[in-house]
Amino acid sequence: MRSVVALFVVSLLFFTACDKKTKPDPKPKPPIDYKGFSYTAPGALVPAKSGVGRRGDNYIYAPGIRFPIEHAPAYINSQVYGIGGYLGERGSLCDLRNYQYPWHDNFCEKRGWSMPLCAGGKGHQGVDIRTATCDKNRYYTVAVEDGVITYIGQYTVKLRSNSGRTYRYLHMDSQSILVKRGQRVKRGQRLGLVSNNMGSTKTSIHLHFDMKQTIKVGNQSKSIFVPLYSSLVDAYKRLLSGRP
Amino acid sequence: MRLIFLNLSFMLLLQAGGVLDVDWSSVEKSAQQKSSKAYPKVLLEGIKEVRLPVYLSTSFIENKSMVVVADKGFYSISFSLNGATLLFEGDRTYQESVSPQNPEFQKMVQKAAALEISESEGIMVAEFKRHGANYAISIECENPKTDKRCTQEEFIRNLYGRLKMVGGHP
Repeated sequence: MRSVVALFVVSLLFFTACDKKTKPDPKPKPPIDYKGFSYTAPGALVPAKSGVGRRGDNYIYAPGIRFPIEHAPAYINSQVYGIGGYLGERGSLCDLRNYQYPWHDNFCEKRGWSMPLCAGGKGHQGVDIRTATCDKNRYYTVAVEDGVITYIGQYTVKLRSNSGRTYRYLHMDSQSILVKRGQRVKRGQRLGLVSNNMGSTKTSIHLHFDMKQTIKVGNQSKSIFVPLYSSLVDAYKRLLSGRP
Repeated sequence: MRLIFLNLSFMLLLQAGGVLDVDWSSVEKSAQQKSSKAYPKVLLEGIKEVRLPVYLSTSFIENKSMVVVADKGFYSISFSLNGATLLFEGDRTYQESVSPQNPEFQKMVQKAAALEISESEGIMVAEFKRHGANYAISIECENPKTDKRCTQEEFIRNLYGRLKMVGGHP
């Protein structure tokens, strides 16, 4: 009985929190500050022209995960619309302004890719993360959960966690990969080095990180990419606190 | 829109994951009973625990270079091709459950086509449902912008058209 009441209260608080966060903003909210690390709200894409995010969806889809890059700092922001990006302000991809807080969500950023959870059914299915500096082959990615490496492609590594969630790490240097297909890994174990690998087509130096899971709806189900920004904010705070 | 997010979040908060029911009655009897002695050992050994129908394209069934990663609830079978990596996956697990009344997800599953082919990050993917489980075929190319296997649907559609059940049991 107690747990039912507790769940009800938590849900009510959650509703209230969501309700506040989904009201139209007359002006952009200031970033949230946490011990010097700051981030804008989930779904608040920057710049505004970069698409429509899932504002108000603050749900942590991957609770308790380890942040996918071994050490802080790291920066979540747009590769396409950032400085030096394909559709961003002219300049260098290594511009220091790309390497500073606050973080900006880029799940659902404009793409032509099929994405059921994004406005119009299309968008970016993951989150792009820059490492501390604009250097490739210097910073390690790590397993976010205990699991098994199910696939290593040209520039993709897939980790299936014991919970059945499938995480993809894209753009690591192929020569740096420390794991094999079928290998069991522990949370926090090194996987490889962040790079700009996209086969023969080089991309910017970053980690594209996403998660796919199956959602059951009644007696049907669908496997979809879900928003990870809130989960990563949570994981990063733990990393900064020394309890990754 | 706000209501949708509230619904989604609330329902997700309440429900945990599990295993999807596989409809074995929809699997052809002939496919279940067919002798699999001809298949490579790596395949037979790799999928012996799998509790869902395992599908591969006919042209890859006898390819001994496959790498199989599997357990009761899923399988992942990959092949290194010339300049590309090919992956066949099947999964009967789910990680979240949402009420059928949730409008966003209800719409999503109703809209889902029998076969969905899409390209993202230079990777061509075909997703489909069979017997209540979720399946995918994907190909990732060394030259994602020029290799037709990753830029056009034909290759992956052809693989889908030649799928054959090679194992799995209730």
